[in-house]
This record gives sequence, C-alpha cells and structure tokens, in this order.
Amino acid sequence: MSRHETLPTRRGGAPRRVGRTAGGSGVTGPPRPRIARRAGAKAPARRAAARGWFLLLPALGMYIGFVVWPLFMGVQYSFYDWNGVGPATWVGLDNYVKVFSDPYLLGSIRNAFVLIAFFTVIPITAGLMLATLIRSLRPGPFSRASQTILFLPQIIPLAAAGIAWSWMYAQTGAVNEILGWFGLGWFARPWLADYGTALPAVGLIGSWVLTGLCTVLLLTGIGKIDGSLYEAVRLDGAGWWREFFTITLPGLRQEIAVLMTLSVIAALSSFDIIYTSTQGGPGRATLVPALSIYRIGFTQSDVGLASAFGIVLMIMVLLCVLPIQRLSKAGDR
Amino acid sequence: MASTTGRRRRQRAAVASIAATTGIVLAACAPGGNSAAPEPAGDATEVSTELTSEEITLTIADETGFPATDELAEEFTRQHPNVTFRINRDTFQNLTANAPRLLASDTPPDLIRLPTMGDTVRDGLLANLDPYHEAYGWDAWSDSQLAPLRMSEENVRGSGSLYQLGLGYSVTGIYMNLGIAEELGIEAPPSTLAELEEQMALAAENDVLPIVAGDKDGVVNFVVQAAMNQFADQDEFMAWMFNEPGATYNTPGNVEGAELIRAWADAGYFSDDINSVDYFEFVSRFSEGGGLFTFNGNWEAATYQEALGEDVTFFLVPPVNEGDGHVAMGAANSFSVAAKSPHVNEVAYFLNWIHTDPTARQIVVDVTGASPGGDPALPMPEVEPGSLIESALEMAARIGEEDGQVDFMANTTAGIYAGSIIPESQLLVTGRITGQEFVERVQEFYEGEVGTR
Amino acid sequence: MIADRTERVLGRVLLILALVLTLIPLVNMVSAALQPADVNPTGLAWPSDPQWGNFVTAFETGHVWELMGSSLFIVLGVVPVSLLIATLAGYALGGLRVRGGRAVLIFMVLGLTIPFEALIIPLYYQAQALGTLNSQWAVIFPLIGLFMPFGVFWMRAHFVNVPPELAEAARVDGAGLWQEFRRIQLPLAIPAVSALGILLFLWTWNQFLLPVVLIDDPLKRTAAGALTFFQGQYSLSIPLLNAGALIIITPAIIVFLIFQRQFIRALLRGAVKG
Repeated sequence: MSRHETLPTRRGGAPRRVGRTAGGSGVTGPPRPRIARRAGAKAPARRAAARGWFLLLPALGMYIGFVVWPLFMGVQYSFYDWNGVGPATWVGLDNYVKVFSDPYLLGSIRNAFVLIAFFTVIPITAGLMLATLIRSLRPGPFSRASQTILFLPQIIPLAAAGIAWSWMYAQTGAVNEILGWFGLGWFARPWLADYGTALPAVGLIGSWVLTGLCTVLLLTGIGKIDGSLYEAVRLDGAGWWREFFTITLPGLRQEIAVLMTLSVIAALSSFDIIYTSTQGGPGRATLVPALSIYRIGFTQSDVGLASAFGIVLMIMVLLCVLPIQRLSKAGDR
Repeated sequence: MASTTGRRRRQRAAVASIAATTGIVLAACAPGGNSAAPEPAGDATEVSTELTSEEITLTIADETGFPATDELAEEFTRQHPNVTFRINRDTFQNLTANAPRLLASDTPPDLIRLPTMGDTVRDGLLANLDPYHEAYGWDAWSDSQLAPLRMSEENVRGSGSLYQLGLGYSVTGIYMNLGIAEELGIEAPPSTLAELEEQMALAAENDVLPIVAGDKDGVVNFVVQAAMNQFADQDEFMAWMFNEPGATYNTPGNVEGAELIRAWADAGYFSDDINSVDYFEFVSRFSEGGGLFTFNGNWEAATYQEALGEDVTFFLVPPVNEGDGHVAMGAANSFSVAAKSPHVNEVAYFLNWIHTDPTARQIVVDVTGASPGGDPALPMPEVEPGSLIESALEMAARIGEEDGQVDFMANTTAGIYAGSIIPESQLLVTGRITGQEFVERVQEFYEGEVGTR
Repeated sequence: MIADRTERVLGRVLLILALVLTLIPLVNMVSAALQPADVNPTGLAWPSDPQWGNFVTAFETGHVWELMGSSLFIVLGVVPVSLLIATLAGYALGGLRVRGGRAVLIFMVLGLTIPFEALIIPLYYQAQALGTLNSQWAVIFPLIGLFMPFGVFWMRAHFVNVPPELAEAARVDGAGLWQEFRRIQLPLAIPAVSALGILLFLWTWNQFLLPVVLIDDPLKRTAAGALTFFQGQYSLSIPLLNAGALIIITPAIIVFLIFQRQFIRALLRGAVKG
C-alpha cells in the first residue's frame, strides 16, 4: 500500500535525475533535494560507495576495453590516410573536410534524418496507441497473443526483414497485389526502385520492426502507473482520450525518452535493412552513413575517411539524443 | 554547495585526463606498418615444382554460389591424398570487402578469390608467381589472358609480375531467346549494332521486353560496357582499367556508348523495376522467357540451356560495322596466393594442375562453362556437341583470335563499382542522367580513389 | 473496462489491423518457401501444392546444425555475463547511488550513441591483437562491451525507481548490502532483468555487422550473419532461401515464445503491483 503513495512522486523525481545526468555537460541542477537526502545517510553511504564501485568495475572494464579504447583508435585513424594494411600518412583534418564537402556523404546524412520519421515517430505513436488498446483489453489470450504477434518482427534479424520486404515491395510482390485487391492497382510500382518511394519504403521496414518493441515496453510502463490514478479520472467521467493525455502519456515520459533514444540511434546508424534491401539505391536515394562507412572502410579500404565519418556520425547521434534527454527533464517540471 | 563544486572539479579533472590520454594516443606512432612492405614469401621459400609428400591442408577463401573449387579440391585430394582442403565461402560482397584484411592476418587463406588487387600487391600481401611462371613454363599460355593478372611496382595492372591465375576464363555476350525471336519474325542473331537495335525496337513494339537486365547490384553494366566497347578505343579503355597514369574514362567512345544506353532507357528497352532486380532475379526471369535478349557471361550457359533447351543461343555483342572485330568483356575467375602462406609451392602446384590436368580442365568447363585457359595447344575438354557451352567456348576462342578481350570496368579499382558505377548506372538506365554525366561522374570518383593512393 | 462501445469496437479493429500488417511479411515468407524450388514466387498466393520438402532440402544443404551451434555459443557467451554485470552496475548507480556515479553514467550513456560502424575497424585490429579474430570470441567480447551502455542504463532506470525506503528499512533490520541486494532488490528487478535478457538475446542472435566482418567462416557466425551465407547458397532459388531463413529464425521465435509467457507474466505482475 505504501508503494501506491510513494510511486508517483518517486517517478516524478526520477526522470529529472536522468535528464540532468544525460543532458549535463557541466550542468549541475538545483542541489537541494539531494543534499537533504545525502545528509540523512552519510555514514553508511561511504562504505556502500566503496562496494558500489566494486560492483561497477566489471561493466566499466568491458565498456572501456571494447568500446572506449576502440573509439580512441578510431579517432586516431581518422587523422590518417590509411588503407588498413600498409603504412599510414598523417593528413590532419583532411578526412573531416572531405566528409563535409562530399555531396554524396552529406546526402546520406540527410537520408538518415528522414529515416527518423519512420524509425521513431511512427513506431512510438503506433506503440502508444496499441499499448493503450491492449491495456484496455481484459487480460486473456487475445491480449497476450496481440503482444506476442506485435513483438515478432523484433525477433527476426533485420537482415531477414530486409530480404522479406524486398519481395513484398517487388513489382510482382504482395504490396502491389494487395493494392490490386482494393482497386488501387494503378498505384502499384516497384517500391524500392522508385526514386520517390524507396526511402519511405525502407523506412517503413524500420517502423514494422520497431513498433512491437515500442508497444511492449510502453505497456510495461503503463503497468507501473498507479492504477488508482485511472480510477480517479474514471470517476471524473473521463473518456479514453482524456485518460490517455492526463495519465498515460505523462506517466510514460521516461519510457518514451528511452525509446526515442534507441530508435533515433537505430535510424541514424541503420545498416542491416539497407544492406539487404536496396544497397543504397536507386542512385543514392537510400544511401545512409553506416553503409557509406562500411563501403569506404572495407570495399574502398580508405580507413581514415571511414573512421572520420564514423566519428561524425557518432557526434551527430549525440547531438540528436541530448535534446531528447532534456525534453523529458523539461516536461517534468 | 561545497560538494557540488568539488564534484564539478573532479569531473573537470576526469575530462582533462581523458583529453590527455587521447593526445598521447594520437601522438603515438601511426596505425599500420610504417616499415616497407614485407618481402613476399615466394622469395623466402625455395621454389619447387615437386609436390610435398607431407600431410597438409590448404585453405581456400571463395565466394558462395561457385562450386568449382569444391569439385577441383575433391579431385585433387583423390589424386594426391596427402593434400586436403578447407574451403570457406562467403558472399562476393563480404569476401571482397574482407580480402585485404584476411590476407594481412596471421592465418591467411592459402588461396583466395580476389577480383581486384587494389593495394594488396604494394602492401606485400600476394605471393609473386613469376618464379612459378618460369618453373612450370607458363609462358606457353596466352599472354593476353595473363596480362590483367599482372601488376607493376607502380600499382598499374597489365604488366609487371604475375600475382593471380584464373579458375576458368570467361567471356560475355548476348543470349537470345529463339522462341520469342521466332514469334517476332527474327531469323538470326544480329551482325551489327544497328541490327541489334532494330530487333530490340521490334520486340518493344510487340510488348516483349527487349533486354532482361537488373541493376540492383550493378549487373546492367554488362550492357553499358558492351555498348561502350563498340565505340571506345580498346587500348585507351584498358589503360584506364589498369590505372595507368593519366588514363581517363571520359573519352568520346565511352560517352557515345553511355548515350546509347540512355537512348535505350528512354525507349523502354529495360524493365521499369530494373533497379530492384538483382543478378539472380534477372537470370531467372530470362530463364522463364521474360524477354528477347540478355547480356551475360558464358558461365550461365548451362543454366540457360537447362531452362530453355533448344530455344536459346549465345553470340558476341555485334560491332558497329559488319565485319569489324568483336570486343567483349572477359576475365579470369581470379585467385591469388597469400604471401604469408606457408604452402606457396603446393598452391602453385594446385594452380598449375588446374590448368593442365585433363580431369581438372573438364571440371572447370563443366562447372563454370568458362574456358580452362592454360596452354592453347592442350586439347579442349569435351562438351556436348551443339550445346550452349560449346558455342560459348567457341566465342571465347574467337575473342582470343581477334584479340578483342577487355576487362570488366567494375574491376578498375576496389571501390569504384559500389561507390560510383552502380549508383550512376541506376540513374542512367532510368533516364535520370545523360551518358555524358555518367562518364564524368565515374571519372571524378576514379580520380578521387586513385589519387588517394 | 472501456465504457464507450464505439471506442471499444474501433479499438479492436485498429488492433486487428496492426496485427494483420505485422503478420503479412512473415506469412509471405512461408508461402514463398512452399513454392516449387525452381519457381520465382510472386505475391501472396498460397501454393496449390505446398513443397514442405523445401525445408528438408534447406536444412540438409544449409549446415543448419553448425549454424545453430555457433549462434547459441555466441549467445551463451554474451547474454548471461552481460545481464550479471549490467545488473550489478545498475544497482550501484541507481540503488546505491555511489559517489561519482553520475559521471560514470554520463560516460556510459555517451556509449549509447556510438554506432557499431564507427568501431568496427578498430575492433578488427583489436581482435587480431588478442588472437580472437575469426573465432566466436571476436564477436562475444565486443558485444558485451557494446551492450553495457544500454544494459546499465536500463537496470539503473529500474533501481532508481525502487523506493529507497525499502532498502533503508532492510538496513534498519540489520541486513547487509548483499542480503539487501539478494532479498529485496533482486526479486523486484526480475521483470527488468528478464526484459533486458530477451532484448540482449535478440540483439545478439540478430547481430549482423560484427560477425560478418570479424569471422571469416560464415558457419561460425550468428544466425543473422549466416543469412548472407544462405543468400549465396540459394541465390537461384528464392523458395529455398525463404525456407532456410525461416529455419534460421525459428529457434529465436521458439525461445521467445517460451520466455514470452514469463516475460508477460512479469509485466502483468508489475502492472498489478504498480
């Protein structure tokens, strides 16, 4: 019973911390509540801190060894002209200049941003709708089956999704056939070969994959929302929409921030789907940074340029993800 | 507040130390080997044409979908039981992307399928086969077949030392569906480019697709280059493909060929969904009677024969004027020996065996449909009289006689196919850019890539 | 639970539509896999004469046991270790709130933004130096490291939501750190850990770029990496490629369905209690 009362306020506090930590390069927010808490538990805290660091070590070690260290190596490579095997030549910032002056590489960055609409906006919107719909069902086989089915695309390798959808989108594929059933045969086209539809079509593969993940995670979040809040608005005579906007959406802020972070990263660094469906074509209509990096680094053996583009991609992702953290923090006040 | 500023200071210190570490790392020695390229192992081990009697296992890295190495290895082990093989297969795309690093690793494959040599020779990754060329008397083999497998010290192909050999030597041409041709009233394959165009126009008028092609993975360039070959200066084109200094793709002949493709695209000679059709799909579309012509290599002769029976024929792309020599793309299914391989002698023995042993030559022809190469004086393997494979072998011989073989432009540099030729050809065959633009853009990419060497 | 009838019907229709859209590509794969092996399948049509033998052919020619064994080996190398160390670290950051934890969290969350493609080349040379190149370990070690930012972030998000009053009550009762962790924190964390476990399993099973680059033998890769092997192996037969792909993804689906029951029960329990 005590959790019922504490949860909403605790939840209110939590995202604020997340927001500040992730958003804060040197930003230290209002310290008052924390100092008050700290003062209460100072003596045991010191011992706990030592043990806490001990618990942190394995995770930190793997992270530093297999992410941070290679990243430093990547930064180093980016200042060289190197084919990955032979001797390397220091070229300073030349590789970065090339990234920002090559129209094709810039075009691939633009495509990645278009993909955010399909990887982030559509799945989270659909996930919110579906999660509230499933929650409104009586718990039972249909509710369980719905979640299972919606989650299925997450289980398929993205590479397989790319292959499966390539046939769906083909001239003689299922998409055109289904359009035909509804008398929309005139709208049929080879979706992945059409310059106008290729990028959205590839993006929708991402929507297909990510919607299930969003639905299930948001449903977990809804489950954590205090049930009595729903009862309260129900007693107020609120409908589905009001319930959604006054209780569900605010309560899911943290989950939405996590999903946005995940899906924006998936959009900006998408590789598998494109690699197995369009290879960047037609022309360069679906070329994305990750595919460029793979090609430049491996097929073209220009490790320096590929590394520089990799660093740029990483910074790009960072710049997109930081505001999301702030968003969840700002909305909390 | 004190604890807050203290924390901030610590954070700042942490950031500073991270920055310092970065600096140290960056200032440390450059990645990769700074020393000169290592000496190829071919010089280190004594060249021998005698096969070892020890038990050894040779590793081969090959692409998926080409079972020739499996059967050759099996036959070789049958003849020489002390030599066994381990064959790793990966898709063409993955294999070509990984090849330089595979060769540089501590345990490289002994023999590797390597379509473009790129920097591998300069980096000392490939065994120099010149000593074996001399020891086995490969000078009796066709020089023009071996030329693209050589590379000079200046990283220019076509001359210098021998670094590769082919498991089969291919030639490309046009397959025609005779059943459809008959319905259209076409009696014989075209003998000039103009005649070919007339027949394509006739097909288009009768709602038959003139050219079955796909360009998702760039294979329409069999058609693009076939058109260019008929207008371009052969030596000039080859010089570009071999990366000779100053060579250019932007020649009047290449532009004329590319403009012809644009004209064909505008006339609707390609399917609308060409950019979502990959190699295997257009092969099966032609096999199912999807159109009048398809541009492909002799390696698909058996497939088409099986699917279409008597209703298919193979011929070389016709020249502009009747009686002119034919020009066709052809290349070795090229394999290289890793410089670090401890078994260079044995691999060389295996390669020589593939070119000389009658059973091996028969396997190459049966499995790949390509010519086995080697000494022209050796008897050709037997093929079914009147079969497509037979006519494909005849065409290969004819191109050899006419000295009309050119390499595939996709092999020009390691990155040019995926980075430029594929995307630009996709734009070309859908009428998005002109032939002139196509040629200029590919040349620009070429200069960027060759310039970085 | 829903009062308004129209809303209810509309909701059901929308949900069913979403389910159908989700299933179509999968059904399409099955229908394509059942066509005669030498035919190029089109559209959604169910084959008049389903060729179940395609699955047998694909199984026999596709080295499926080897592929499964390799995928499983990689998953077992990655997931349990990742779960353990991410939970410990998440507790340290979210539950114990260790000093300097905020800096560690920033440091780790930054890792969320690193695309694998930016690391793949250095990882190659690192694997070479460690002597793991071309073995499954070349993928296992980096994957554990790459999953840490998300794993720790995820587990911290759980522990930060556990009321400190619970832990404080336990401490007042004289429970040590380990006891508190085991008796109070861990049971509460099970839904979060199992959800994370399923995600990590899927991300490992479906990892594509790392195995393709770091392991030269396709039969030593993950299931997703093996798909390109199938693409080459069955390039001339789309039905066989589909059959092979379905075989490869079936274990993941089965494992998911088994865990799904517990997964959803955990979610529901969270819902009732929350």
